Amino acid sequence: MQTFHFDPVDLPPGIPAFRAEIRAFLAREMPRDYPAEQKANCWTVYDADFSRRLGERGWIGMHWSKTYGGHERSALERYVLMEELLAAGAPVGAHWIGDRQTAPAILRYGSESQKQRHVPRIARGEAFCCIGMSEPNAGSDLASVRTRAERLPDGRWKINGQKIWTTLAHRSHLIIVLARTSPADEKNRHAGLSQFLLEFDTPGLRVQPIVDLVGAKHFNEIFFEDCIVDAECLLGTEGQGWKQVTAELSLERSGPERYLSSIALFFELLRVVGPSPSESVRQAIGRVTAEIWTLRQMSLSVAGQLARGEDPYVEAAIVKDLGNVFEQALPPLVQALADDGIHLEQDSDFVRTLALLLQTSPSFSLRGGTREILRGIIARGLGLR
Amino acid sequence: MSEQRQILADTADRLFADAVTSRRIEGFDAKLWQQTIEMGLPLLLAPEADGGAGGDWDDAGAVLHALGHHGVPIPLAENMIAAQLAADAGLELPSGPVSLATRVEGALQQAGTRFDGKLLGVPWGRHADAILAVVPGHTVLLRRTDATSLRHAHNLADEPRDDLIFDNAPAVCGPASDGTQASHLLALARCAQISGALEAALHKSVEYAQTRKQFGRAIGQFQAVQQQLAQFGAEVAAAMCATRAACRAATRGDASFQIAAAKLRCNLAIGFATSTAHQVHAAIGFTREFDLRQSTQRLWSWRTEGGNDRAWADVLGARVCARGDQFWADLTARDDAVSLT
Repeated sequence: MQTFHFDPVDLPPGIPAFRAEIRAFLAREMPRDYPAEQKANCWTVYDADFSRRLGERGWIGMHWSKTYGGHERSALERYVLMEELLAAGAPVGAHWIGDRQTAPAILRYGSESQKQRHVPRIARGEAFCCIGMSEPNAGSDLASVRTRAERLPDGRWKINGQKIWTTLAHRSHLIIVLARTSPADEKNRHAGLSQFLLEFDTPGLRVQPIVDLVGAKHFNEIFFEDCIVDAECLLGTEGQGWKQVTAELSLERSGPERYLSSIALFFELLRVVGPSPSESVRQAIGRVTAEIWTLRQMSLSVAGQLARGEDPYVEAAIVKDLGNVFEQALPPLVQALADDGIHLEQDSDFVRTLALLLQTSPSFSLRGGTREILRGIIARGLGLR
Repeated sequence: MSEQRQILADTADRLFADAVTSRRIEGFDAKLWQQTIEMGLPLLLAPEADGGAGGDWDDAGAVLHALGHHGVPIPLAENMIAAQLAADAGLELPSGPVSLATRVEGALQQAGTRFDGKLLGVPWGRHADAILAVVPGHTVLLRRTDATSLRHAHNLADEPRDDLIFDNAPAVCGPASDGTQASHLLALARCAQISGALEAALHKSVEYAQTRKQFGRAIGQFQAVQQQLAQFGAEVAAAMCATRAACRAATRGDASFQIAAAKLRCNLAIGFATSTAHQVHAAIGFTREFDLRQSTQRLWSWRTEGGNDRAWADVLGARVCARGDQFWADLTARDDAVSLT
């Protein structure tokens, strides 16, 4: 039995200089008066100007073809950029999904005109994207989506249905919608699904915000009511939606954002406790350090496999699961360490960051595949399913 | 993994698997030891000029992973490290087995020609011809037969961990530039063995879950069991990845940070892994006869050997706290250094 592949990765030459370039950019370009707690979970923080500046710099679509506005840098350079942006807590939410999965899906499955029309705009940081997968009755069981696309006699499609929990839909320009194009077959539930690439100004498409438990507005419901779109909006092949969406999920799960969402709190902790804390705090920091270092090595290894064109589907699920467990364990650990003299009503960078993550981190093991789904994938990798 | 290293790992794996299949020996497997000498394994980390194989820690990690996987009782890790440290100190290594003492109470006397003191918990001490010990500033070689007393003791897996007392015994010594080197390398070796033993426990548990039937089907078909084994698998993956990254760092230079982190992560994995392995196996796993204990008793022992959680968490925590906001710069610089060369 071969267990899992986590070969160490050698970063390509030139990385130290590139890292220095990113840090200099961030020192100059991070928004002024940026609240500390925004640095936590920063890949959901929307800042269109910041994304445009990254686009100008060539830091969106770094490894895409130049034909479509990309920059043909290596996948590992892109990894370094992502981890630096996340570690700095930069507001990268606006373009994150387009850069990570929407444009790569268009480049892989899209028509020539879809690539030409949309990918350069995404690379410039002018078009933002969101994910049209979840529905009220299709969460972990994604194959049960009920949104329907019906082909009209003139070749156009009519879409009816509903998507939900769609992050930043209210500020997005593009969405890839997973819809049923032929009736559900209980014997082959993954057949008959297709993907559609839609713009948000399409008539019949309506967005309604959902307020989350801390009062923030980032996710939404989307309604499709007799939404008529051109034949050309079909992404990839009719009926191949499941295969395409699975490839998209591989990209969605494999990045460093799956273990770094709470890193801002660890940095705050180091700042607050100073160079020589008590023995118990010091040891807790040592243990957390070991986990961060290990998760980074695992995440780098997955990035290396992706860069070589492999599909580390199970390994990516492992990193996301362990990463989410870590991101969720950190806030209560810090709360326990800090209980002496630190109270949640206090208005400090440290406490606001802690308070935000205590409340939002339970969602980290939901988005991009629940921990139960991920563990099902790992169990299959072990030959148990 | 390079092709050459894969061959080395596969050869070692077959050798250890055969040793376990043909005979399960507790204590010390003299026949297997002879076979490892023929393969050049005990001197893997010594330079070729000194009669060694000139291997690096990527190689050693692969071999020790196989050693831990099969749980074979020989002081291979200790001999490998002793050979490396002896070569560093310019000492000629006796033929062996040579063990390693990291817990030393005592001092050199008479210009480094005599040693007075105790070596505690020496792996396979009673079977070693010589023991390499580190005292402040020096690497010391002692002959086992020069000990005035030898107390037999064992870890939880019945691996010998003996105390030796020396009274004005003859010693050969050389300079040790870094007094922490031996304990770091022992920790790294235990990481590799832990990774192997974790992997073996996982494989045994998955196989058992696929064959043991309850309620009319294999217990591995129940989601509750699958989810536990998936978590177990993720822990094993973390330990293996951490170990390989630390071995890579040791091959390249100073790996003190990576080794501390890897040992902590391996130790963390042991808790969930062993409890899940025994939960899946239920009562049969708790018998003397059944093979699972060959993995779990070693894991419980090795969690302490080469430094426990408190020791490494303290080292790592102090180091990180002292650097404060340089945490991320330091963390990334360690891997970036490779791309500078």
